[in-house]
Parts: sequence; structure tokens; C-alpha cells
Amino acid sequence: MAGAILSLVPFVPWGNFLLSTVSSTGADQKQTVVLDMNTPTNRNANGAVAGKTVNVNDLTSFPPNGSWLITYPTSGDLTVDSENPDSFQKYQLIRLPEQLGGSDKSAAAFVAFSKVCVHLWCSPNYDPIIDPTTKQRSTNPNDETYQCPCHGSIYEVPDGLAIAGPAHFQPAPTNAIPMLTLTADSNGDLVILPPVWDVDHNGVLGFGRNYQSYDTQILPAAKGTG
Amino acid sequence: MSDQGESGAGGLTGLVQGLVDAIVRLYRWLYKGLERTVYMGVQYTYPRRFVTPLGYLGVLTGITFLVLGITGGLLMIYYQPTLTGCGSLTCAFASIERINDSVPFGWLIRNIHYTASNAMVLLAVLHMYYQYFSGRFKIKNEVLWVTGVILGIITGVEAYSGYDLLFNQRAGLAIEIGSSLANASPIIGGTLRLSVFGAGFSDFVLRLYAGHVFILPMIMLILVFWHFPRYLVFDLPVISTVVGGLFVIAAIFPVAYQPGPYNPGNGQITIPEWYITGIYALIRTEFDKFVMGGLMPALLFLMALVVPFVDTSKKLNWKDRPFFTAIGITSIAQIVITTAWGFYVNPNPNPTCVVNGAATSGTLCRLFVDPVLYFSSMLGVTLLSFVGTYAFLRYLKAKERVRRATSPLGPLLTKKWVYITFTLLILAQVALAGLALLSIFGFHQVVGNVTIDIAGGLKSMTLFDTGAILVTFGVVVHLYRYSQSLPF
Repeated sequence: MAGAILSLVPFVPWGNFLLSTVSSTGADQKQTVVLDMNTPTNRNANGAVAGKTVNVNDLTSFPPNGSWLITYPTSGDLTVDSENPDSFQKYQLIRLPEQLGGSDKSAAAFVAFSKVCVHLWCSPNYDPIIDPTTKQRSTNPNDETYQCPCHGSIYEVPDGLAIAGPAHFQPAPTNAIPMLTLTADSNGDLVILPPVWDVDHNGVLGFGRNYQSYDTQILPAAKGTG
Repeated sequence: MSDQGESGAGGLTGLVQGLVDAIVRLYRWLYKGLERTVYMGVQYTYPRRFVTPLGYLGVLTGITFLVLGITGGLLMIYYQPTLTGCGSLTCAFASIERINDSVPFGWLIRNIHYTASNAMVLLAVLHMYYQYFSGRFKIKNEVLWVTGVILGIITGVEAYSGYDLLFNQRAGLAIEIGSSLANASPIIGGTLRLSVFGAGFSDFVLRLYAGHVFILPMIMLILVFWHFPRYLVFDLPVISTVVGGLFVIAAIFPVAYQPGPYNPGNGQITIPEWYITGIYALIRTEFDKFVMGGLMPALLFLMALVVPFVDTSKKLNWKDRPFFTAIGITSIAQIVITTAWGFYVNPNPNPTCVVNGAATSGTLCRLFVDPVLYFSSMLGVTLLSFVGTYAFLRYLKAKERVRRATSPLGPLLTKKWVYITFTLLILAQVALAGLALLSIFGFHQVVGNVTIDIAGGLKSMTLFDTGAILVTFGVVVHLYRYSQSLPF
């Protein structure tokens, strides 16, 4: 009897009990980048840009080295998006520092990282490190990082590869943060291209991405139509 | 009884007397009815004399569970386990805010619930260690021990799911880490996470709520049938003191629902509740997440589960079981060390450090728990506490033999010391009341752009006084009982 049950174990659809899979109801599609409304970073630190549409030509509202919170896929209603705390639908939009081409008026000046750390799903943040000796923002391009406040995983900007912390010790592809592919339309408005959610393209949220350098993976798309 | 001359008043007195009689009759009827219920299977013992406070820890854990059930039931009326639809805040957080700030007595109920939840975790752990050191878990009591360990694990999960329901920053991060730890388990990980936590934050909160208020308490109630011993120590003064103590602590240290609602854009370092900081420290050593966050705590529980089947000697006293006493002390030392590490965060806002041979800076330096330092301190503590305990017990045994030969046991507490303790307790009450009074004025202040609101003002006083009355009742009744009893 016990043997019969044991041999059946692998064939029972265990995963279907109470199972609920992530459903991206809005379907992944092209989406203009609009900043969330109710987050402190969008409201205060970088000027009153909450709820604004991001334009690559606008260097005053969206200065280099700035970062903001965005939602993808959108529900179509900015208020609902802003109320939604689900980090699996949140991305950090970063305008790169000047030395990485952040003052370019093209989509290549931006990256959008997933807010879900590939280590333990905490929400990392963009941190332009201040140089300990000069007390200025560091000019070393490797110092601009995306850091997780829970266990200290540190991702390189703009590649999204973990360079230190626990995520750094995880095997590929679980050592790079998923990111969105950005482009700009004819007005200069930043647009998210429909992502391909597998490890070889935009990555799998909370899992990882096969790391390819910024130049080969992200830049062509951003420059191509921008 | 009633005066015949004053018929009006006499009629009233008669009516009151009749009512009282009816209530007494109803009470007696209900009490007799208990004979026909399952509760007759459980024998409550009312000790005439105080035995040892540690013997009550189990009942106290149960009483705290009851307090949690009552206050939790009341909180359910106003709590909303949903996220969107309540304006700029999530519904879960907004409803907590409402309970705390505008619902009548909501503040009191929430604070009692929070303090009781912490007390229950603490009492359960203390209870376990007392049973362990006193050897009560042995010889035919294995079932009680095993169900107890499982109940302890569920208590931990209850506490975890409870603080997740607030959906403040700390809760949001705890939910993320909990679900991804489940996800990181080998083979069953994905299924486990999707079936326990669901997908997305709406699912997380709703399922944690269902588990917290119904599924887990039901499992606990069922397990308790295999956990009640044949003789349950049930002592009113002690229960009154501890419940009162809960109120007093809740009054002096009201809990804030801050740091703010959960927001993925918030980059603050947030330390979890004290019963999880151990796991937090382990994860921060940067070893594999499942081994550190899942396997290590599981090993501790597994060790606890198998203890009665390993320690099978007929010796009960901790002094006669040096090996297992040393193991117990070592486990306490390890838990304390790991928990303490979990609380540590480099206070320097922008430190630089060397992690695994590479110079780095920022958040990682604040959070990094150096595995060399951590595991060597762990090894050191393990060796020290084990060898120390073992050596001490041998020394104690030799000393005890000499002491027994020279002098017999005397009374525990002389009458003089009973009076001194009593006076000290009253002084402590006065001091605590003064502290609570001060808290109304002293602890409500703004420092920089942070508002420190440690005490809840008059609400604190209400809770404090209720607690103080219960504590005083318990202590006075106990001291009276103690002074009346013969010394051994």
C-alpha cells in the first residue's frame, strides 16, 4: 500500500493545490514611461516629477545620476499603479551619471532595473556613492551601484551584474538583475519595449538573467530606434 | 435579610437577592455541566502553595495564547487584508492606522496583542528550556515534548505572519524574504512558495492573514490536545501577575506601526523582529541562502525534536545529566550570539570595508557579517559554554555532596524577606507609575525631522493602571498565601 502511494507521488500534480501563478493581466506591451506618484523619491529628492512622462531631452526634470520608481506593466491607471506596492511590477529608472553617457539625449542614457533582488527578493536602490576622500560623488564609473538594503547585494550600473554581496556568489544566471529594454519615440518620450521574460533576454524576475554587457545587450535596442 | 418595616426597600433588596441567587444558580449549573464535557479529561490542579515560577511557564504560554485570541478576534473586526483601493496607503496599513488612531480602544487592543505575541514567543522558549533542564520531557512524556516543539515552530510562524500583516516597511521586506526563502528550497521550492504564499503581494497578505487568524491557530488547538499534561498547574495569582505585566509593558513601550507603509522605493536598512534576527545574521554571512536561512534553523528544531529519544537515561535533574545540560546551555549561547549579530549594523552611514578580499563600500559594508569572525565566535562560544558547563557541574556535584552532609535544607524565604520583597514591590509600582506619568510629557518629542512617540499618553496610563492592578492583585495574594504556609 505504502509502496503504491510512494510510486504515485511523482505523478500527483502537487503544484496545483492552492496554486496561484503570476499573471501579467495587462499583457506585456509597449508602454510609455510614466513615473509613479506616491513614492518619496519621485516626489521630493529629484524635483516634483511624480506622475510625469519621462522625456529623454528633459535634462532638468530628469538629470543625470537621478533615479525614479516606475510600474510595468501598467494597469492603465496611474493612481492604481502608484498604490500598487507589488515590487514584482516595480522598476528603478536610472539616468546614468554623466561619465556613463547620462547627458545623452537618447534612451541609451537610461536603464530600468527590476526592484526584485535576485538574492532574496528585497528591493535594491540606486546609490551614487560619495567618494570617502573627496566627499564628492565618485567619478569612478564602477562606484555607481544598485544596492540592496536587506543583505547588501551590489549590482553594477549599467550592466546589472552583481559585483559584491550575496547575489555575487550565486551561479549564473542568478547573479544579474533583470532589466527592461528602453527606447525613445519621435518626441523623445521614453518607451518600454515588450520584454522577453527569459534568462537570455530581459531576465526572469526574482531569479536572474544571463549577464551580457550593457553594450551588447541593452545599448543596441536603445540606440536603434532612439 | 430584608426589613419588613420598609416594604419598598425590602422589595428591592429581595429582587437584588433573587437576581444574585439566579446568577449563582446559573454559574453552578454551568460548572456542574462541565462534568459532561471533554474538559473533565483535563485535570486542573490548584496548588495551595507556590511551587516554582518556572513550572507555570507552560500555562502562561497558554494564557497568552488566549489573550492573543481574544484581542486578535477584536482586531479582525477592523483589519483589512487587502492592498489597493484605500488611497495612497495600502488598505492593510491604512486599517492598522485606523485601529491605532481612531477606533475606540483600538490602541489598547493592538498594543496588548503585540506585547502578548512577543511574550508568547519568549514564554514558549523559556518553557521549553525549563522542561529540558528539569528533565520533565523524559520517560513517557515524549509526545508532550514533540508536540511542544511543533507548537513552538507554529508560534514562531504565527508571530512572523502577524507582523507581516501590518504591511509596513519591515513587514514588506519580511514577506519578500520569507517567500523567496520558501522559493529557494530545493525541488519543492517553487511549488511551496506558490501554494503557501501565492503570487504577488495581494496574495501574500491575504494568505498570511488566513494562516494567521485561522489555519495556524486551529492546528495549534488540535495539537494542544496532545500537549496538555495530566496535571495542569493553574495558578490564579501568577496568571494575574503575568497578564498584568503584559499590560504594563504594553503601556510603557507602546508599539509604533512605523517605519511607514511598505514602499519598494525605500532604501532604509530595516532590522526584523528579535526572533528572526538570528536568521538575518546567518543570511548576511553571504553563504547560500537556503543553507543559512532554511537548513540551519531547521537543524536546530530537528535537534530539539530528537532530544527525548537520545537522552533516554532515567535521570531527571539537570545536575545529573552534564552532557545534555551542556548541550542546552550551548544552544542558548548560540541563539543569543546569533540574535545579537543580527541586530548589528555598522552605524557609519558610508563605511568602507573588505569583503571576501575585495575592497567595497556602502550598504554591503554596513550589513556584512564577516563569516570568519561570526563562525569563529560561534565555535568559541560553543566550546566555552560546553566545557564550562560540564566542568561547573562536576564541581557542583562535589560541593553538593559536602553541603548535604553538613546542613539540611532551610526555608526558602523568611518572613522578614517576604516583608522586604513586598515593600520593594510597592516601591517598584510607584516608580513605574511615575515613569508612565512622565512618559506622557517626556517621551513625546520631535528630534530633527523624526517624531519620537514612545508612549501613548493617557491611553498608556489606562493600560498601565489596568496592568498594575492585576499585578498587584497577583503579588499580594501570592505573598499572603506564602506567608501563611509553613516553610517546607
